Amino acid sequence: MKENELPDKEKEPEIDQGMDTSGGDSAISSKNQSVEGITRRSLVTGVGGTVALCALGGVRFAGTTPLVRPPGGQDFERLTAACIRCEKCVEVCPRHVVKPAHIEHGILGMRTPTLNFDRDWCNWCEEENNGHPLCVEVCPTEALSLPEGAEQETTILGIAELDSSVCLAYLDLSCRFCYDACPFEAIHLDENHRPSIITEKCNGCGACEAVCVVFENASISADAKERAVMIRALDEDGKIVNGLPGGGMTS
Amino acid sequence: MKKLNILQIIIPVAIALLFTGAYIAHLDFGMLSSFGWSTISMICPLGALMALLAAKMLVPRAVIALVVAIVLMVIFGRAFCAWVCPVPVMQKFRDLVARITKEGITSGSSSKKALNDSTDVTDAVDASADVAVAADVAVDADVDADVASDKVVAVQETVDETLAVKGAGELQAGAYSSCAKKRGAAIDSRHIILGGSVLTALVFGFPVFCLICPIGLTFASIFLVVNLFGSGDVTWTVVVVPLLLVVEIVFFRKWCSRFCPLSAFMSLSGKLGRFFRPKINDTTCRETTTGEACGICGNVCPVMIDPRHPDVSPAAISECTRCLACAKSCPTQSIKIPIWSSKDELLQKTTPLPPEDKQ
Repeated sequence: MKENELPDKEKEPEIDQGMDTSGGDSAISSKNQSVEGITRRSLVTGVGGTVALCALGGVRFAGTTPLVRPPGGQDFERLTAACIRCEKCVEVCPRHVVKPAHIEHGILGMRTPTLNFDRDWCNWCEEENNGHPLCVEVCPTEALSLPEGAEQETTILGIAELDSSVCLAYLDLSCRFCYDACPFEAIHLDENHRPSIITEKCNGCGACEAVCVVFENASISADAKERAVMIRALDEDGKIVNGLPGGGMTS
Repeated sequence: MKKLNILQIIIPVAIALLFTGAYIAHLDFGMLSSFGWSTISMICPLGALMALLAAKMLVPRAVIALVVAIVLMVIFGRAFCAWVCPVPVMQKFRDLVARITKEGITSGSSSKKALNDSTDVTDAVDASADVAVAADVAVDADVDADVASDKVVAVQETVDETLAVKGAGELQAGAYSSCAKKRGAAIDSRHIILGGSVLTALVFGFPVFCLICPIGLTFASIFLVVNLFGSGDVTWTVVVVPLLLVVEIVFFRKWCSRFCPLSAFMSLSGKLGRFFRPKINDTTCRETTTGEACGICGNVCPVMIDPRHPDVSPAAISECTRCLACAKSCPTQSIKIPIWSSKDELLQKTTPLPPEDKQ
């Protein structure tokens, strides 16, 4: 059994097949060694590949940053388990708020759906599909899946947080775009017309964040790194993740 | 042959472009991992299987898609690999680049000259059927085509045409007649990785292989670039994902035959049916009618099936990608791809090789 010849034999059969026109009997007559139908090389490659997959599976335990997810994506376990990263939800979203998650937020959740309210917000496809989110409808593996009778108002995607240090209203510029945009009356205006969040009413739809004009007025709020109203993801205990150091303005 | 090869590039590229256009226009066609319209989706069978096992729940749509996919795989076997999958296209591109750079270095000539040489060879291929065999074996050899151009030149310069064909046949018979199992007939590394993919999905609770699947990564790369320029979605993912894809294409040269669990899945399913398999008409085949050694069909096969000599074939018939190379190259047009082949037809005895080719 010329086992030592096995790797070469296995490696370049195509070349031999096409090229060797001069016989070379001694080199080619060695037996393609196999043990119970599987060659040693195949076994090593296959097991190696599986070990690599197991190592990659370890990202499960690497920790991930909770993100604001589309409706029906609140169960992180289910979302990551069933999502095959096909991006149908991203594609179907009529308001273009569903985006694939970045690798910066963890390899495990990479390319799973998340919400981005830069341009628009999530109203559960009110006009487009009678209040049934299209992302949930198209998900082929039900990674996004709403419980029976789930309502937009009570399904918490995240919670708005207001940063008074950059909010134009707190600079006495009487901006109230977010107040006007909020469909759930979750923003309160005080006597000086300054907004604050009523967290009990907020479901994280993103209407306020989408209309916040801090960046359009960057010469005034020059310190702003993000909008004055931001939807924050919640952890398992319902606490805001990566929020403002002192918390936002609430009422 | 040439035309078919081009089609095998055009179709996957057209599919990729279609999905990309649909993604930009938000038409909801999906991508190869899951394509369809609205709530009706065809899901990648491996993705569906892994998602079902990882989430440990029965999703009707995923189950239906899985069943439909398995039926398709039973009927068409690995046809996906030849006609739809974008990975072989990228591999061909890789080989083209390798060939150009290698020729540039070894011969000291410019890449352009190397290209011209290749074109000349290709022309010669058209002119002579036998040279075509040798050259196609070299050019189309599934992998390792970076050395292919060297071979083409060598073939052109030195090889006595008949000898080339005969030698190849001889070598094949010699090299593989003693194989205990042929590729696709026995468990190989792909099957282990298929098992590993299913197992890791079950153990770790998410479809691990989806993270590195080159088909998924191809579309992810395209979509990431679309999002980067289309909606300013700046992320390191747009660097990492294409990089991973390039690594898989460049360093895992034999991805399809050694690593791809989908290829394993398709070849396993394909064993269940006997649809669309190349079948030789013995009344016209050159070997059976004249007794001459031919072996062209076996030599052009990119997955190394020898339809004429199944007992010495390096690969089992279940590996067939329905690329039609054998049917197209047969000098007597004796190979057809019937819808169904009976068991007897598949087990047809090998024609005895002429005495000088026998071991």
